[in-house]
Amino acid sequence: MIEAFRVGAVSRGETLWEGLDLAAGDGEMWIVTGPPSCGKTLLLHILRGERRPDSGDVHVAGESLYRGSPEHNRRFRASSGVVPESLPAGQGRAVVDLFRLSAFAAGGVSTEEIKGRISELLPLVGLSGAEDVEVSSLSVSERARIALVVELFRSPRYLFLDRLLENAGKEWADRLGGLLRALAREDRTILMMERQLPDIWQAAKVPSPLSSGPFFLYRLGSPPGPERKREAEGPPLPAGPLSETTGGVE
Amino acid sequence: MGKEAAGRFLLCFLAVSYFLVMLLSGGADRFLSGQYTITAILRIGVPDDEGTGIAGKVAELRPVREARYRTPEDAWKEFLEAYPGLESLRGARENPLPGYVEIRLRPERMSEEGIADVRSALTPVSQVEKILSGGDVMPSLLRMKRWANALLWSGFALVCAVFLVILAMQEKTRAARLVPDVSFLVDRGVPGDRIAARRTAGAFVAGGIVALVATLVSCAALFLVSGFFHFVRAVVGPAQDLLDARYLLPVCLFLLSATIFQGLASLAGWRAAFPREK
Repeated sequence: MIEAFRVGAVSRGETLWEGLDLAAGDGEMWIVTGPPSCGKTLLLHILRGERRPDSGDVHVAGESLYRGSPEHNRRFRASSGVVPESLPAGQGRAVVDLFRLSAFAAGGVSTEEIKGRISELLPLVGLSGAEDVEVSSLSVSERARIALVVELFRSPRYLFLDRLLENAGKEWADRLGGLLRALAREDRTILMMERQLPDIWQAAKVPSPLSSGPFFLYRLGSPPGPERKREAEGPPLPAGPLSETTGGVE
Repeated sequence: MGKEAAGRFLLCFLAVSYFLVMLLSGGADRFLSGQYTITAILRIGVPDDEGTGIAGKVAELRPVREARYRTPEDAWKEFLEAYPGLESLRGARENPLPGYVEIRLRPERMSEEGIADVRSALTPVSQVEKILSGGDVMPSLLRMKRWANALLWSGFALVCAVFLVILAMQEKTRAARLVPDVSFLVDRGVPGDRIAARRTAGAFVAGGIVALVATLVSCAALFLVSGFFHFVRAVVGPAQDLLDARYLLPVCLFLLSATIFQGLASLAGWRAAFPREK
């Protein structure tokens, strides 16, 4: 569980927000929305343990990311994946190189396993056979989708997605939404930063009472208990061997 | 990347070629030992078998590379070649010239001590009338040789220094290119020392391969060039000598050092690949 307590941030001498609380449990999916330049990416960095908040604290599994041991922070980062707002073009880099890098981060993944998992993951985002394509030749949408599956390669327990749906484009929102819900059902915690709530989730229009400052927080993941079980049986999963894809290499 | 590898290979080739040439030639030693001879003039009337025996004994001395006995008849022929028209000196009388032993030193023993060793071995021999070893000129000639060698080895040190500076610059540039990759890994909790260890190991292996290939190419080039040009054989020595066991250890040490330096340069440059702490 990721818990933010009274978190505040200051940028260029101005207070961006303060007193933000958030508790994202296992299997929950949260979307944080807010206008441009309100500090969504900064919040993501704070929640990932990359940037110390100017006030408050962030705890994971009951231990502070900033006041606890550096090893705890490192372990948390190792078990989390992040899709940045913009994926570097990486001149001369092929898609497979990104997977290799992810494999190095995961550690102990054989070449055969890398190949196998690439062939499972790329079709999930409509990019079958793109492993040898240069990253610089991909569109923004394709890069965003590639960045997601590169993270899924390591099967992270926590996923931080910065404007993934917006970058992927409307035509991909449904499919990625389904994929993310399925991941949440596998007990992964997903935190998304978007400018506005995507249409597919307009039904969940009621923001969380935890919403603070410039942000609206929406909890979209599977609710705990029997309710969650019912939901798990409900909506269809996106095409592809999802359970095989998201399990395994850790 | 290709240009970078080619540049590194060329530098490594240059350094290893310089080293091999210096190893074989000993700087100016090989050339000088090819030009310089000690001549032991025997007394008139010393039989040929005794002269040959003396040459054989001298050849066994440590500083000696080669000792050849020249009979009085050989000496007379050489005299006439040098001074044609003086056949009348011999006339009806016997050959007025004695036999002699021509001695060449090993390049690495081309020193005052080496010359003194040969002289002291020949002096007590009753058949030897006179020893010609360069006289008063030799000390200054040997001093000049030492200076020339020091200059040549300094040139080698300079080539190595240039190699290291370029290596360090290349590694720093390479590390700067790797910043996005390293950021990716650090953001995903990969410890910095693991990244550095992996990178250094990679540089060590790649450096070893580059150094080995450069050495093999350099050896092949030396064999080729010394086969074609007599001058190279005279100054550098026959490339076949490289197969001698006594050259094997220095070559292996050089290879190892080149490999280690490439690994260390990578380790020194790795910090540039790390993003600043947020």
